[in-house]
Amino acid sequence: MLQPEVRCVEFVDEVTVWMEGGLTDDQRLLLEEHLSICPHCTRYLDQLRATLALLHDADKGLSESPSPSARDELMAVFRETRRD
Amino acid sequence: MSASYLDELGDDDAIVARLRDGDDKAFAALIDRYHATMLRLARGYVATKEAAEDVVQETWLGVIRGIDGFESRASLKTWIFRILVNRATTRGERESRTRPFSSLAAEVDEPTVDPNRFIDSGRWQGFWSVPPTRHVIPEQHVLASEASDRVLRAVDALPPNQQVVITLRDIQGLSAADVCDLLSISEANQRVLLHRARSKVRAVLEVYLDDRAVKS
Repeated sequence: MLQPEVRCVEFVDEVTVWMEGGLTDDQRLLLEEHLSICPHCTRYLDQLRATLALLHDADKGLSESPSPSARDELMAVFRETRRD
Repeated sequence: MSASYLDELGDDDAIVARLRDGDDKAFAALIDRYHATMLRLARGYVATKEAAEDVVQETWLGVIRGIDGFESRASLKTWIFRILVNRATTRGERESRTRPFSSLAAEVDEPTVDPNRFIDSGRWQGFWSVPPTRHVIPEQHVLASEASDRVLRAVDALPPNQQVVITLRDIQGLSAADVCDLLSISEANQRVLLHRARSKVRAVLEVYLDDRAVKS
């Protein structure tokens, strides 16, 4: 088997820069070539993308709220300030 | 009060207009939408939950006072987060804590993935010996929310600077440029922090998926 130029350990190191569009064209092509022949790194990337999908708005459902007194203070200041 | 009122109002301009008009339902909805996120961000800068709550309270007061001056060059939430980061930095300095982004240059290199998972010698050095497993994300809603909860806890366990960056980028969806600007860090530093944070959270998800596969 022909050895790819980019090793898996390099792929996982560079994957964020690649996703951020920070590689040169040459680097990008080498990384994408590796990806096209390496099922393990493809799976790694799948998991990374799944992680990002899970993270997106993950804190939206959190119900932490100011304490009742803190909220009352904010609402009172809001009403007072906006009335002027 | 429901944060979905904000969705009803529509874009930032509409929300800001309601706030300026003194619509307290809009303000309450804004608190519901961002309070938890702001508390988590503030924790990156100050020592205790109480101090973080103070920082967030001050931020909301700053929002009330500053909303007339808001210009839609930035998004509303980026503007709110900027007030938060400023207050949190001031508070952190008063507590004489190390600022989360001051020690970046001195940080040691961390491996992206456990080095033991790669072949360590010979022709195939640096290729996977223990590759990621095949499992994908559960589609059922309950399991997806369990996985989501797991990655959120993984974010909580990160060092503060990584936690702040991944929260702003991947949870809140801010651009790299906005995050660099907000935190006064270089693009390269932002990328390093994001990379480390994502790598660790992915590893936690992998363990979770493997465990689940064993159980089922």
